[in-house]
Amino acid sequence: MSGSKPDILWSPHHADRYVICDSELGLYRIGPVGSGETKAGALPLSVETAATLLAINSDTPYMKCVAWYPKHEPECLLAVGQANGRVVLTSLGQSHNSKCKELMGKEFVPKHARQCNTLAWNPVDSNWLAAGLDKHRADFSVLIWDISSKFSPEASVAAEKIRLSSGDTDSGLVVTKPLYELGQNDACLSLCWLPRDQKLLLAGMHRNLAIFDLRNTSQKTFVNTKAIQGVTVDPHFPDRVASFFEGQVAIWDLRKFEKPVLTLTEQPKPLTKVAWCPTRMGLLATLTRDSNIIRLYDMQHTPTPIGDETEPTIIERSVQPSNSLIGSFAWHPTSQNRMVVVSAANRVMTDFTVFERISLAWSSTTSLMWACGRHLYECAEGVGGEGTVEKDIATKMRQRAQSRYGHDTVQVWKNHLLAGGDDPQLKSLWYTLVPFPMQVSLMKQYTEDVEQKQQGSKQALVYSGIKNIVKSSSGTTENRRCWSGSDRQTDVPRFHSEERSLALRLCGWINRGPDINVEPFLRSLEGEGEWERAAAVALFNLDIRRAIQILNKGASAERGDLNLNVVAMALSGYTDEKSSLWREMCSSLRLQLKNPYLCVMFAFLTSEPGTYDGVLYESSVAVTDRVAFACMFLNDAQLPRYMEKLTSEMKEVGNLEGILLTGLTKDGVDLMESYVDRTGDVQTASFCMLKGSPGEVVKDPRVQCWIENYRNLLDAWRFWHKRAEFDIHRSKLDPSSKPLAQVFVSCNFCGKSISYSCSAMPHQGRGFSQYGVSGSPTKSKVTSCPGCRKPLPRCALCLMNMGTPVSNCPGTGKSDEKVDLTRENKLAQFNNWFTWCHNCRHGGHAGHILSWFRDHTECPVSACTCKCMQLDTTGNLVFLSRSQSD
Amino acid sequence: MFVARSIAADHKDLIHDVSYDFHGRRMATCSSDQSVKVWDKSDNGEWNCTASWKTHSGSVWRVTWAHPEFGQVLASCSFDRTAAVWEEIVGESNDKQRGLSHWIKRTTLVDSRTSVTDVKFAPKHMGLMLTTCSADGVMRVYEAPDVMNLSQWSLQQEISSKLSCSCISWSPSSSRAHAPMIAVGSDDSNTAYSGKVHIYEYIENTRKYAKAENLMTVTDPVHDIAFAPNLGRSFHVLAIATKDVRIFKLIPLRKESAAGSSGPTKLQVQILAQFDNHNSQVWRVSWNISSTLLASSGDDGCVRLWKANYMDNWKCTAILRGDGSPVTGSSSQAAVPSTAGGPQHVLLQASSAGRKKAQLIPG
Repeated sequence: MSGSKPDILWSPHHADRYVICDSELGLYRIGPVGSGETKAGALPLSVETAATLLAINSDTPYMKCVAWYPKHEPECLLAVGQANGRVVLTSLGQSHNSKCKELMGKEFVPKHARQCNTLAWNPVDSNWLAAGLDKHRADFSVLIWDISSKFSPEASVAAEKIRLSSGDTDSGLVVTKPLYELGQNDACLSLCWLPRDQKLLLAGMHRNLAIFDLRNTSQKTFVNTKAIQGVTVDPHFPDRVASFFEGQVAIWDLRKFEKPVLTLTEQPKPLTKVAWCPTRMGLLATLTRDSNIIRLYDMQHTPTPIGDETEPTIIERSVQPSNSLIGSFAWHPTSQNRMVVVSAANRVMTDFTVFERISLAWSSTTSLMWACGRHLYECAEGVGGEGTVEKDIATKMRQRAQSRYGHDTVQVWKNHLLAGGDDPQLKSLWYTLVPFPMQVSLMKQYTEDVEQKQQGSKQALVYSGIKNIVKSSSGTTENRRCWSGSDRQTDVPRFHSEERSLALRLCGWINRGPDINVEPFLRSLEGEGEWERAAAVALFNLDIRRAIQILNKGASAERGDLNLNVVAMALSGYTDEKSSLWREMCSSLRLQLKNPYLCVMFAFLTSEPGTYDGVLYESSVAVTDRVAFACMFLNDAQLPRYMEKLTSEMKEVGNLEGILLTGLTKDGVDLMESYVDRTGDVQTASFCMLKGSPGEVVKDPRVQCWIENYRNLLDAWRFWHKRAEFDIHRSKLDPSSKPLAQVFVSCNFCGKSISYSCSAMPHQGRGFSQYGVSGSPTKSKVTSCPGCRKPLPRCALCLMNMGTPVSNCPGTGKSDEKVDLTRENKLAQFNNWFTWCHNCRHGGHAGHILSWFRDHTECPVSACTCKCMQLDTTGNLVFLSRSQSD
Repeated sequence: MFVARSIAADHKDLIHDVSYDFHGRRMATCSSDQSVKVWDKSDNGEWNCTASWKTHSGSVWRVTWAHPEFGQVLASCSFDRTAAVWEEIVGESNDKQRGLSHWIKRTTLVDSRTSVTDVKFAPKHMGLMLTTCSADGVMRVYEAPDVMNLSQWSLQQEISSKLSCSCISWSPSSSRAHAPMIAVGSDDSNTAYSGKVHIYEYIENTRKYAKAENLMTVTDPVHDIAFAPNLGRSFHVLAIATKDVRIFKLIPLRKESAAGSSGPTKLQVQILAQFDNHNSQVWRVSWNISSTLLASSGDDGCVRLWKANYMDNWKCTAILRGDGSPVTGSSSQAAVPSTAGGPQHVLLQASSAGRKKAQLIPG
């Protein structure tokens, strides 16, 4: 089109070729990126495709519109409408076809020169080319040319005049006599042939849309409207036409042409192009000026003209092929939903596919299914997902459920290994939960006081947290301890009580006994290579020599950090003089130490007794170590305050290390709530809280909710056995969670259960055992209801009252004798069971019924034609397995 | 991390919805070809279509499964102004042996006068209930009082909101601390009517749903809405597909007096994340079972997965192209900065910069 505004045309027959026309015509071929065909000069259009320029044609100036000849031969023939109203046939590439040569350069000249707005080839009679021109009061605006017309002598006379006026020298190729002339004294802005009939032409005229019938040119059907630009017929629905005016698109139904069937929401800027997607039903693409998006209207239903008031569902979408402003676009004629877009400036092209709206769903096992167009895609979480992305908690919980996480009640700490052993919070949690019963028994030996207190509150076996333990602390003694292993005189006040040493034990610093001996702990830390931590613990026990020794050992260990020697050196220079250079440097430089334990060591050394904030509030130091430190160095006033503060901090962030402080109390549930809020790990929450006191913690609605959610998860994953195991585990710890009996046989007369197996019915009070009826049917001796003493129903086969042991029925014959004894024993108890058909309600001893249906299909009760066993799918299975085993 | 695999769906027109059952072993799809297909997963992981039948006389917009404790039950809704409930019948014929199962229509819900745009079953602890919403802006709550009789559904409540409704979601929380809750989204394109998401809560005293919240900040058309599986959390998380992906956190403010349950719970609304990486409209959002992964699809033709870190910072962890092809070359370059995370506005800039880079290559 005119200089700046480009347009694109796809070749009607070559799916890989298109023409861009701006000031010249450029023919491109599209192909996969990097293929042998594409030359070095290929322009990338997308990730996969690139275009190669095949030919350029700049012979025709003042281009206003272009149309591609619709037939195969000649293949690259284009009609160009010019600003002076002339239509020129031209070609791209070298076609040596004789017909093409004949047509090439042919010109069709209107009587009066004015701009040619639009061109349209007749799709059937491809010799017909319709041209729409601007208004001229003495001329027609729609001219239909026959490109095959041989100029007659009289026409050539007319052409002669034109030639003189326009200076054209090639007289042999100028045609001035159109086949049809339509729309006198009017302007034509857009044209399209209607597929309904080859002689029908739809034209967007000045202020009306008109349908010209070439069989009778004196008549036209028209409707007054402003929406006369860009008329285009829906290729999937030949009666549907779109046209536009300014920012508004009107959709017409030619069967009721009086008014648009609908108008689309107006866009703020004027539209420049509207095109139906040729590969997809009811998809209309629109482009406005100065825009980088293409707006799509997805019309889900073909409009019905017969007064149906249903509004068609239109889904408005927009796509952004690239960031630059779009000059024009063109749908690919055959590729699904594909288009090429050319930018308004610089002829940047983009190959682009419009995706259908994708609907998607996650399965319970974290695979994702989505539907795009008519296709389904499933996407499962790959196994090769290396540690780059942390596994999702749902995946983790699934794996942990399978590894029996939480079920190890003997060695509770092992649960963190079952969980994968890579989560420090879980490690801390399970180590916290471990020692408790052991600690209680230790406490019995050493701290009778506390033990009694705890007995008093009936929490003997429930871990109540260090916070509560130290709260009840009494009889704290303060003793000033000197630095051991050094000759310094200064001493540091340290506090001591039974509760505090219990807390230290819970923190894992000391093993047993009232005396504080951290040596085993230090050795285990050394064994794990946690040199800095070990050194810090040693230092906090005022053993600076041991700390230095540990650091040296760490430096010399395999893959040890040599810097530890430097730290040891710095440590050895410790002085308690307030204004020494050592102090000054340590307190400023310690902040640059990366390892938190090294950092707190110097914080400890440089702080005044009683003000250890640098240690206590260093959040990267494990909670256990901070708590143990606090228990050693904070006085009775400071310690509970610190505990309170730390606890609320832990609760805030849901850090499981805080369970050490809160224990499995209400506080612990609060903490776990924020952990669950943060992670969704109801599995850990359920297992952990089940260890809490049944009355207070387990009954908490939040805990119940976590347990229910976890059970629901296991069900969703079809881990029914794991769910059952969990229920068993739960009922051990929380007997009230045992489910009620689900099914029992009730007496026909009084409606009460005839068996007494359900312990969950204690309200029945009366011990049925007096009747000799107990849970196991083999022991049943009574043939009447224990409630009302009415007889039980009779077996349909042996006619004995139920409750009598089954006698081997003779009818079963030899086949039974073959059955091996163990199986016979297994079945013996089952033979006595009640069984009945759920359909006809006839029944009897299971053994009798089973043997009856081995030979029969109908119910043993006379005149009952119920095919009891066939109704039961598992019944069929029984026979199947029997026949296989026989 | 994720590898996509194509399944021959064999629908004759666009597929509008896909839905898994509770266990993830069955799947239902619905399409503009007016049919619903049921798929069963074989032991080797292949999906086999075991039923396909014409359900409606118009495009079927959505299909959804009831909890299996109510049987094998599906609900579908359509442009034909109805919603329908379907139940699978086993044992009566030999179809099962041919790998086909038989679904029969239990009821047609004909109350709507316009296209029924969404249908959802309530979480199982509420019994067998379902809601529908329709293009004329009416949300309806139905209940099957007898779970054994799926042909009887009583209309419990109708709530009209004037704005055409496009999507609906039940809060899945079974916690007793949370009242039943329904969120409805509207795709009305007039941004002047602010608040395209309405949240209704069940009021025990009146036994009706009442409006609890209107998300005033969501003014653009909403195409999908999804409550996250609650999994014992004390709050609700709601994902919204509008012109961007939004994640809201709804924190019920605990009432001081338990007796005053006459009105809906006050909700504190926080926005957790807002992503416009889809460039334009977002069509669907879906949560995984633990509500730690969100999948969204949008007009960029991609499926994006979002994940939060422990700080509640959401970021994109994967981009999958809608046609299953891997995101490669320049477009994955564009993706890398966005996965690098950080605060959300930084993230958006980074991804647009990445696109620009991809654009510069042709120029």
